[in-house]
Amino acid sequence: MTKIIQSIKWFIPFLMLATLLTLLARELFYAKPNEIPSPLIGEEVPDFQLPDLLQSQTIFSKKELAGQIKLLNVWATWCYACGLEHDMLMKISREYHIPIYSINYKDDPEAARKLLAANGNPYVMTGIDFSGNVSIDFGVYGTPETFIISPQGKIIYRHVGAIDQKVWDEIFYPMIKRYEA
Amino acid sequence: MLFYRATQLLFALIFSGLIAASFAQSEDLYPFTSKAAAERFATLTQEVRCVVCQNQSLADSNAPLALDLRNKIYHMILDNQSDQAIKDYLVARYGQFILLQPRLNKETALLWFFPLIGLLAAFIFVRRTLKLPGTKGNPTLLKIM
Repeated sequence: MTKIIQSIKWFIPFLMLATLLTLLARELFYAKPNEIPSPLIGEEVPDFQLPDLLQSQTIFSKKELAGQIKLLNVWATWCYACGLEHDMLMKISREYHIPIYSINYKDDPEAARKLLAANGNPYVMTGIDFSGNVSIDFGVYGTPETFIISPQGKIIYRHVGAIDQKVWDEIFYPMIKRYEA
Repeated sequence: MLFYRATQLLFALIFSGLIAASFAQSEDLYPFTSKAAAERFATLTQEVRCVVCQNQSLADSNAPLALDLRNKIYHMILDNQSDQAIKDYLVARYGQFILLQPRLNKETALLWFFPLIGLLAAFIFVRRTLKLPGTKGNPTLLKIM
């Protein structure tokens, strides 16, 4: 018995080194230190009131984000990556029939209206967050961000970065499917 | 003579103007009525991380989000919220990572104590290796240990 233990002890430093190197390699190549997971997952959508971009006199608030599975997209005209995902958002809205609401983040409302008029409007409603305060309530740190909201009005997932077909197929669609009646 | 004097005066004016301008710093962007509140603001902005920068605090960063969060903290201080409430607010929305010094709780206990545990484990391991039966070990080293 002691002989086996003795020969195993010989391996221990190498095991430790191997573990350390594996952890290092993982962090170096696969970890994304700039991405922070949202602590709001599982929480209710925070209370908010924003003026609607296209219909003055209308208020976009928390109660719009319930009833069925919905997406909340945070975007701006000055955000390059937001432009990249615009076509995908149109597809999600028109072909996959998932309602998308949006927050226009720290932007020029007139420029935002022009962009939607020129490129198409995938959004059911768009709120103007001029100061960025509502977005802070959502824990937004970089546009574009998209939240998946459950029919009960809870945040299921927060995606940072543009949505493309791959992201939709691998992340969004599987999550949404679970909530479709 | 007059020309010389005039030039002197001009230089003096420009120079003192430049010095005065160098004092017109960001202090005035966040005016407080009490010194204690101003100090709270300074400390808090140094303890909160700018999450879109690499390892900078809100106080050091010029990123747009850092400006927004500084504003938010400023208004929360004016609103008489405690330091704890402000930190809780930020952690609830951005996670533990937003605090430059992680709090000590179940999740971060391993982070805090890992170096100590590692050192202890290494120490124990070395002692036991030197005492393995059959090996004389290094007598001098053994004496030190």
